[in-house]
Amino acid sequence: MSPQRFLSKSESQVPMTAQALVAHVLESGDFYAAVAVHGIADARQRQRLEERLFGSRRDVLMLARWEHTPANVLDALSRLEHMPLARRVVKHRNTGGSTLKHQFSQSDDPALTGLLALHANTPAPLLLQIAMGDHDQVVLKGLARNPSAQPEVLRLLAQRFPRRFDKEIASHTAVPADLLGTLYHRGDKFVRAAVLAHKQVPEAVLLQAAKSTDTLILRALVKHPLLPAALVDALSQHKDNAIRAALATRTDLPVHLSARLALDESDSVRRAVACRADLSPALMQMLAEDHDPWVRQWLGRNAMAGKHVLQKLALDIHEDVRRAVARNPNCPITLLEKLASDHRSWVRAAVAYQPNVTSCLMASLARDSAVDVLSGVAANPHTAPALLKRLVFSEELDVRRGVILNPAAGPDILLPLLQDPYYLHRVMLASGPKLSDQDKWQLRDDPDPRVRFALFQWLAARALRPVADRYFYRRKA
Amino acid sequence: MKIVVAVKQVAALDDDFEIRADGLDVDEDFLMYDLNEWDDYSLEEAMKIKEAAAEGAVEVIAVSVGPERVDESLRKCLAKGADRAIRVWDDAMEGSDAVTIGRILAGVVKKEAPAMVFAGVQSSDQANAATGMAIAASLDWPHAAVVAELDYQPGAATARIKRELEGGMLQAVEIDCPAVLTLQLGINKPRYASLRGIKQAAAKPIEHWSLGDLGLDATQVGTTAALSRVRRMEIPVKGRAQMIEGTIAEQAAKLIEIIKEYKGEAA
Repeated sequence: MSPQRFLSKSESQVPMTAQALVAHVLESGDFYAAVAVHGIADARQRQRLEERLFGSRRDVLMLARWEHTPANVLDALSRLEHMPLARRVVKHRNTGGSTLKHQFSQSDDPALTGLLALHANTPAPLLLQIAMGDHDQVVLKGLARNPSAQPEVLRLLAQRFPRRFDKEIASHTAVPADLLGTLYHRGDKFVRAAVLAHKQVPEAVLLQAAKSTDTLILRALVKHPLLPAALVDALSQHKDNAIRAALATRTDLPVHLSARLALDESDSVRRAVACRADLSPALMQMLAEDHDPWVRQWLGRNAMAGKHVLQKLALDIHEDVRRAVARNPNCPITLLEKLASDHRSWVRAAVAYQPNVTSCLMASLARDSAVDVLSGVAANPHTAPALLKRLVFSEELDVRRGVILNPAAGPDILLPLLQDPYYLHRVMLASGPKLSDQDKWQLRDDPDPRVRFALFQWLAARALRPVADRYFYRRKA
Repeated sequence: MKIVVAVKQVAALDDDFEIRADGLDVDEDFLMYDLNEWDDYSLEEAMKIKEAAAEGAVEVIAVSVGPERVDESLRKCLAKGADRAIRVWDDAMEGSDAVTIGRILAGVVKKEAPAMVFAGVQSSDQANAATGMAIAASLDWPHAAVVAELDYQPGAATARIKRELEGGMLQAVEIDCPAVLTLQLGINKPRYASLRGIKQAAAKPIEHWSLGDLGLDATQVGTTAALSRVRRMEIPVKGRAQMIEGTIAEQAAKLIEIIKEYKGEAA
């Protein structure tokens, strides 16, 4: 790629129209900015941009592979002749439906069908065409797994190849309810389990599954919201731990059954019980004494856990249990104050992320030396702006990223981070709404191409916004 | 004192590419170039030593062998704080193997007379893991490979290192200096270059050395001097393999089915 020629800093105003923005990019010769504004250029400008973008085979190959290349550029690439691009374009996640269709009609590469069968943007008629005519089992399996495959495709696959792709079809969100019934009746236990795990499973199938004694079937059935009430009690005594554990997660579980499951011999069952919102104080006290630290940990996270239970768990020998208490949304402030001085930084970090922490406590945590703690302080919307201004200059990039992610951090705090050494932080700022376009404009000659691409992509999207919005942005700047 | 850091611009491939007409390498248009990951760590280790010493006491020199495109990787080293960058190239060097590259780099080391030479354990594209050792052999210097920890004071006669061995073992070694060390990933946390550093690096010169600067001639480098030569590159024919998918129970059931089929038993 030829060296960039950037404009001097003296051009201080952000181009406000699409035409002016593209003109700026054409003058600068910035390759990555050209990719970003290609979609907003008029025909004449687009031709000039493409001369820049498609000037060398190496650049063309790179663009067809680059994860950020937008659909309009991929479409232009797909129309270039004598370039080995078809597979790259079809494989690219941003490639649009019409481009994929064009590739399918132009290329005789047999591998393309498999890639098209997998692509989320392949047009429905093309997917149907593959379902009707293709015989390659790998291609068709990919098609059955494609989230964009419509019910007709799934129905056709089930019809053409009975049992072959039933598991994939049964797991697909678009499978019609009647087809689920068919799949259940002809399927093995694995297909049946997949059918039962589906949200659209017909009630008749559920009732039939309720008669099953197969563990795999019952494991799937027990998770379904419409589980017949008569089964709930019976399954609470089933010998399979996974069945009882799944039962313990159900919100409609009668209280007497959750009490029974709280005494279950399986740790995984008691862990599930510890997460429940309907536990009595006595059950919580009992689970707080559980020998399994994961049970105590989940109880510590339970928003319904009472003050006394949390106080006990806050003294737990396992740091993950104490951390769970510190993460509990209802943890009392007095307890948070104690946990803020825990000897383990992992626990103090959880306090730092707590939305309930007082500004006084936050100031104390901001003096911590552990990165995890400081990252929490930086990301906490209740941290005082003065503290955030200091954390912006932290040596640790996790801490600085915490400030960028902090919803309360305004432009005055974030501005210094436009100079952050980590390119991703600059990309986040260029792509986010917190800084004005004018502030971001200094990134136009950033040394990292991904940052420049993010900036010009943002500006290109803004150029397409209504005039009133743009006026507002300029006023803010 | 000086630390020479030998770096390499490595090539990465996507999964579709074409091999050159002569069959000796991948078509360059399909390659993406970047600084070798191991070399990031080597440079960082040199920078740590430099920053711990008095200002101006340690000079870090990044050195690479390669054509003009390699300047981009050397520029990265300058942006991260290297004091100088040297690119050695002559068209006659095309086709040099790791031992010959080691000989060329040793020529640079002889001229710069550093107290330490760092290199990465290996390059991600060729994975010979030989360049560092070849430099040491050419210089007849002590060397240590796969260094995971380094304790070295500028000007000291020895350095203490820990080498990474199989099974998570570390071997503590004391090595005489000057020495050549090949450093392992994870020995430190490489920095990102600051914007200021990048801008300053853009203005710094990269020294371009040729065969004459090193006292070498064309017969000592390139394909003719190489002790190994690439005969051809090829993509192996894919064997028969099948991913067994599904839950653990499904995978077990399928495996039993395959075994029974293989043994000629009824499923």
